Amino acid sequence: MGRWLLRRTVQAAVTLAVAVVLLFLLMHVLPGDPLSRLEEGRPLTAAQTEALRARYGLDRPLLSQLGTFLSGLARGDLGTSIEYGRPVSTLIVERLPATLLLGGSVLLLNFTVGLWLGVRQAVRKGSTEDRWLTTLSLAGYATPSFWLGLVLAWLVGIEWRLLPPAGMRDPLAESGFLATAGDLLRHLVLPALTLSVVSIAGTMRYQRDAMLETLRLPYIVTARAKGLSEERVTWRHAWRNALFPVLTLFGLWLPVLVTGSVFVEAVFAWPGLGSLAAAAVGNRDYPLLMGATVLVAVIVVGANLLTDLAYAALDPRVRLT
Amino acid sequence: MTRTTWLGACLVAIVSAAHPSAAGAQRAAARASIVIVTGQEAAVPVPTLMEGPQASIANSDIADQLFLRLAELGPTMMTAGDQAFRPLLARSWTRRDSLTLVFDLDPRARWHDGAPVTSTDVVFTFARARDPRLCPRLAELLRRITSVTAEGGHRVVFRFAEAYAEQLYDAVFHVAPLPAHLLAGIAPDSLASAPFVQAPVGDGPYRWVRRAPGEFIELAAFEGFFLGTPAIRRVFFRLATNAEARLNMVLGGQADATDNIPPPRSNVARVRASPELRVVTVPSPTIGFLLFNQRDPRDLARPHPILSDIDVRRAIGLALDRRLMVRATLGDAGEVPYGPASPILWIRHGAPRPLGPDTGEARRLLAARGWVDRDGDGVLERGGQRLALTMTLPNTSAIRQQMALQVQEQLRQIGVHLELERLEGPVWNERRTAGRFDIDFSASSQDPSPTGLSQGWSCDGGTNVAHYCDRGVDSLLEVAARATDDAGEAWHAVLRRIEADAPAVFMYAPSYLYAVHRRFTNMRIRPESSWIALREWTVAAAPRDASGY
Amino acid sequence: MTAGGGALRGVWRASSGRAGLAFLLFLVLLALAGPLFLPDPFRQFGLLELADARPSAEHPFGTDQLSRDVLSRVVSGARVSLAVAALAVALSVTLGAGVGLVAGYLGGAVDGVLMRLVDGALAVPRLFLLLLVLAVPERVPLVALIVLIGATGWFATSRLVRAEVLRIREEAYVRAAEALGASRRRIIFRHLLVNTAGPLLVTATLGVGDVILLEAGLSFLGLGVQPPTPSWGGMILDARSVLVTAPWVGIFPGIAITLTVLATNLVGDALRDVLDPRGA
Repeated sequence: MGRWLLRRTVQAAVTLAVAVVLLFLLMHVLPGDPLSRLEEGRPLTAAQTEALRARYGLDRPLLSQLGTFLSGLARGDLGTSIEYGRPVSTLIVERLPATLLLGGSVLLLNFTVGLWLGVRQAVRKGSTEDRWLTTLSLAGYATPSFWLGLVLAWLVGIEWRLLPPAGMRDPLAESGFLATAGDLLRHLVLPALTLSVVSIAGTMRYQRDAMLETLRLPYIVTARAKGLSEERVTWRHAWRNALFPVLTLFGLWLPVLVTGSVFVEAVFAWPGLGSLAAAAVGNRDYPLLMGATVLVAVIVVGANLLTDLAYAALDPRVRLT
Repeated sequence: MTRTTWLGACLVAIVSAAHPSAAGAQRAAARASIVIVTGQEAAVPVPTLMEGPQASIANSDIADQLFLRLAELGPTMMTAGDQAFRPLLARSWTRRDSLTLVFDLDPRARWHDGAPVTSTDVVFTFARARDPRLCPRLAELLRRITSVTAEGGHRVVFRFAEAYAEQLYDAVFHVAPLPAHLLAGIAPDSLASAPFVQAPVGDGPYRWVRRAPGEFIELAAFEGFFLGTPAIRRVFFRLATNAEARLNMVLGGQADATDNIPPPRSNVARVRASPELRVVTVPSPTIGFLLFNQRDPRDLARPHPILSDIDVRRAIGLALDRRLMVRATLGDAGEVPYGPASPILWIRHGAPRPLGPDTGEARRLLAARGWVDRDGDGVLERGGQRLALTMTLPNTSAIRQQMALQVQEQLRQIGVHLELERLEGPVWNERRTAGRFDIDFSASSQDPSPTGLSQGWSCDGGTNVAHYCDRGVDSLLEVAARATDDAGEAWHAVLRRIEADAPAVFMYAPSYLYAVHRRFTNMRIRPESSWIALREWTVAAAPRDASGY
Repeated sequence: MTAGGGALRGVWRASSGRAGLAFLLFLVLLALAGPLFLPDPFRQFGLLELADARPSAEHPFGTDQLSRDVLSRVVSGARVSLAVAALAVALSVTLGAGVGLVAGYLGGAVDGVLMRLVDGALAVPRLFLLLLVLAVPERVPLVALIVLIGATGWFATSRLVRAEVLRIREEAYVRAAEALGASRRRIIFRHLLVNTAGPLLVTATLGVGDVILLEAGLSFLGLGVQPPTPSWGGMILDARSVLVTAPWVGIFPGIAITLTVLATNLVGDALRDVLDPRGA
């Protein structure tokens, strides 16, 4: 177990290192000037541009830039944002809580609503409800999140005025825990809903399939024969077994979630990493975009590692070699 | 309870939290606050740091609340002479001779930490601002100031390289003093990452409270501000990068004010229809123009094969019905400029009217230069070359995108083929700066001083990306910048000469439309800095339920 | 050919597969025949009177901000979206199969290096890879966009093919054939073709849906298909400023994306059921 753990961790580290070097090369071998971000109507003179190039180290050869980048990375230094003029790592840390809140809510929705609906479908396989839910999940999987977000913001936020169409909180919200939490919750509903549609749709389908397979197993048939209530058979006996393969999809949903958050946060002006990355794209703020992408790679590799570890710890059938 | 009922109950709870029973005190506090929603986040709202990409409106909007200039430009926006200015940090100024200006600081002025504002602060700040390594943009603007020295605690002496009309403007407009007692110990290079930037200490009507990253910046009225504590107690600059989202926030009561209601014009009607909002029209410092490249974009050493011909440039200008286009795109909120003079430039007053379209004359000019449609495809040719041009424009500007299509259509009617190339903002800028375009649909945001014109229209101008060069314009610009009396006429000569040369077609000068909540009174929005007069705004007494979501 | 025909028949037999296939056929026909009976997608019907006009008999989906027919643009966008998706997926399947084959066949250091690279590339979501690449050059032509989308989509496919090559190499009959002096390379290729054609076809079909969403997303961020070429994502981006005053401008392209991706997924699922019962 110990050796397997070590090997798996080293493997993850290598993967991450390869990813980072790939990203750096990808960005720097292509033509284009990272310093093209200028205030419209107030262009810089050539001398000003030169000074800025020197400040961001863009006048040095590629390998030297890579070296600086990697040694900085090792120290947690991701460079300086061109647009904000501040360290990228600071900006990322500032925006992390909002993204964690949104991402956490989405995972929660995914692993409650998604699982629950999937089980319902499996139990009522072939019913009208099952067919409708299947269609809905397929449609949900096919809907572009940025479009869904825009439509929800328009309908719920502006036409019906039920929930705020953008932002994370009202700066003038009343103080006090309840009022603050309520304010946050109302702002959270639409983005969390939009972002979770895709993963809920996926989780539903996996849970349904896994559940169907389990329901066919002999021990379930035995449990039913023993006269246990259908509710008890479904949730106590079958679901426990069918849950496991679905939970391991965590590593799969994370990249989907991260990708979706770029769009959803941008649409709902959610002050997280996604909107930061979207703004970095719009502003051609390379250091910032690079920093965000490196963080995403760390998250994805880390999540995969964790999923593997959890899988190994929980499932005795996994051979640890 | 079934699961569905639970779900429903949760939803109701969430939605009903929208209208909590607000305590009276809190509602009053909200009334005396303003939430301004903007499209860009202020990263370093500190004078002398707002260089390069940081020379943004977002930064200066906040800096203008935190830091006080020596004097402010009056409502006429007259930058020449000393008459139009009003005292701020300096309570008075006198002239020793034509090259020396003396300011006396108001002894009541205090930094937000309680320390008095002294001449040391002014000298310290100008030393930084005039250092081209630290502040290339400011140093260029302040190049005609030769020294700034202190005489005692509250007197500052400015010396200038030459006598000219805008000495006072240069000394007071571009930079507001910084607190030397807090910054002198910090190396100039590391100021951007110093804690000061995260919580700036200024001397203006509002002090820094906090930044919620990606959400808003909160400011509070500076108690005991020597020019009177502002009536609006709290100011929030809230961020929403999308223009439509900004408008929706104002319409939905999540914000009190926004600059620049986005097109289409139906949005203005939406604001007008709201009983809580008013539309405020403010002349903008912006002009939009079709800039003709004088050089070949493929080889900048050579003249442009088509556009170096002044008659072709004139014909293009004459083919365009600019008034119609401005009306279709901007409605009442815009006009056709004469020369490169935005509505806030004082030299605009008394300038000639722009010419109307004359397609007949345009066709005649082109035919006289040998451009004829021989193959009948609707596009003129000369010696095997088609009169086909490409126009670049940024995809960020809805106004320009809409106008570009009309320009394309109107040019087609005189046999000029125009290809539109809509580019990402930064990409467009890069192409523009490198001079790789035939025609560029530019827009420039001007300082109130006409001397800025030399940047774009003199041979060696720093932003003259089209390589337009007319020595006649250069000498007229020089004369106007030096003029002390009758500067207006000198500047009109510049405008006339530029119009005659046709280095560009000056398309539109928009007014900015602001949406502002009606509870604010004594409200003034300034073209050069939208919210700079916020300290004088008041809040109407009539209590009305300003419920949002 | 017969195998492909059989798969198609199988898909058609499943009701969901039939619905998907029928919609895709309809869309392709519409995209091809659209110009015959729809107005020019670039034509402006009147900037002053007909901008953002409601849906009507002449303009069933309404007009956009520049008074262009939204229906024409949606149909024209279908052409672009489908072409980009089909070509990009063809490229990534080819690349994936090639790299998987090389890695699995050569093994050793080459395999090790290639698979580490694939691991690294898979650690970054495809969108972020494309953002980094597309944010740099100033203007990405359509062909380059297709190549880039294709070039960032083969990593998982290469793993699949490599695993299949490794499996086949160990099969008893391959070893037997080898012992009998038959060309090992030919055996591997023949069996590989038989064994991976199905999974690759399923991957490709599902990949088309993914690429349509990806391209729409990139265009929404302003990095995908460049205007004036109409694309669904780009249309939604443009519609953003009139979402409240003229919702039809953005609603219809979004529905088009959803239906098309739904249809390809239905066909992909049905294909999988037919070709690869193990994975169902």
